[in-house]
Amino acid sequence: MSVRDVVAWVLVGVGVGAQVFVCLGVLLMRDALDRLHYAGASTLGVVCVCAAVIVAAGPSLIGLKAILTTAFLAVSGPVLTHATARAIHLHRAARE
Amino acid sequence: MNGWLWGATVLVAAFVPLAVLCARLPAPEGIVAVEAAGVDAVLALLLIAQGTNRQPFGDLALVLAVVSFIGAIAYLRFVEAFREE
Repeated sequence: MSVRDVVAWVLVGVGVGAQVFVCLGVLLMRDALDRLHYAGASTLGVVCVCAAVIVAAGPSLIGLKAILTTAFLAVSGPVLTHATARAIHLHRAARE
Repeated sequence: MNGWLWGATVLVAAFVPLAVLCARLPAPEGIVAVEAAGVDAVLALLLIAQGTNRQPFGDLALVLAVVSFIGAIAYLRFVEAFREE
């Protein structure tokens, strides 16, 4: 097992662990905005898995796809979190 | 079955609580679970693409990332436009 494999496994472990942590946070929190706080933190898992794919595959087509996917998720994640919080807030304000 | 596919298995298993949560939460709040499940699925597809050496799964991950974002934004716009006045 080379150094490259070890780095890739560590990155996969951290990425999957972070995503499982996000799922547990979304599952266990009581309020919708608390759940959203955990859902917004999934960028760490995405970046780690993308880095693992790039480390394992090197400069290749799958690495390019991983970079594109990560870039899109890194940009769209905060936008989605903001839009969701805004919709929940407006929905609650309309009900009160 | 290599480490990539084990990681994908863990992420797919994480779908189950998110699906239960989405079914149990009231309408505008369940979208949080759907968003988390979308990112989860994208990561699982990337891991499957690398673990099986099949490039098309990488395309699926990219398309799913875009489609889940558009779907969530469309739903949120609907919730905002038709909220109770």
